[in-house]
Amino acid sequence: MSEFKFQVINPLLHSELRLKIMVALDSLESADFMYLCQITDSTRGNVSTQITTLKEAGYIEVSKSGIGRFSRTTCSITNRGRDALQAYEEGLRRMFAEGVPVQEEIKSGGAVS
Amino acid sequence: MNTPDELDIITRMRGEVMSRQDVTGENLFLAWGYPTVLVLVAEFIALMIWNEDWCAWLWAGIPLIGTPLMIYFLDKDYGRTHSRTHEENSILVMWIFIGVASCIGGWFMGVAGVFQQAFFAYLSLLCGMGCFMTGVILHFRPKTICGILASLLSALPLFFQDNLWPWQLLVTAVTVTISLIIPGHLFRRYVRNKRLDI
Repeated sequence: MSEFKFQVINPLLHSELRLKIMVALDSLESADFMYLCQITDSTRGNVSTQITTLKEAGYIEVSKSGIGRFSRTTCSITNRGRDALQAYEEGLRRMFAEGVPVQEEIKSGGAVS
Repeated sequence: MNTPDELDIITRMRGEVMSRQDVTGENLFLAWGYPTVLVLVAEFIALMIWNEDWCAWLWAGIPLIGTPLMIYFLDKDYGRTHSRTHEENSILVMWIFIGVASCIGGWFMGVAGVFQQAFFAYLSLLCGMGCFMTGVILHFRPKTICGILASLLSALPLFFQDNLWPWQLLVTAVTVTISLIIPGHLFRRYVRNKRLDI
């Protein structure tokens, strides 16, 4: 097992919805909660859960503005999140070029619970 | 998910974000252009008729009218798109910088005693360069051309000195019209046509 392969599989990004949110935010300066629900084609509950996870990991910043029904939740990617996504994408491309399946890497790395 | 699936998601999401991107900020040039020209002309008229100290307070009209209009249009744009692109943010920061640079530059020139001689040429140059940079970032050629033209014309106020200096205000109104109002209307029409196509 190589150290590189262990690092490639970031368990936080190895989720379809979290990866979609991160890629969308990476392409934009900021996006609000409704936009993320629409672009990922997911429910509010799911997006909300994943946003909380990404926020706790320090990958995104969440700010709230407005009052009551006019409140708006805005998300933006942090430098740490951008670096993590870039490393993840590079790792995936390298693994794709080498023909190594992701699932095997997770087992060998043992990083995902 | 396996590796190709994940790479496919990354590529698709980037494409999806790009395809949903709407060009915004079509009213911001006008939101600052019209108050600036209005105040320049009002200041010129006030100086020609009264030429008193209170005339200087008219300058406050630019931020007093421009700022609420800008906030209103930014909020309206964000309410429609629910997102802000890197380009939009860069342009916004650049224009904030230009606004701050014009205030600080005006203060420096006031301290140095050359405000009447040089400020309006400086203001025209800043507006022209801002317009040029916005055109380059948005790949909108009319703005780029208007920016170059306004930058070239920014030296014109320097020809009106001493007793003729109030005429600098009218010349600046022309350069601001070229750098903000004309490209603002052209960009507005372009954005509206683009939205109709979508």
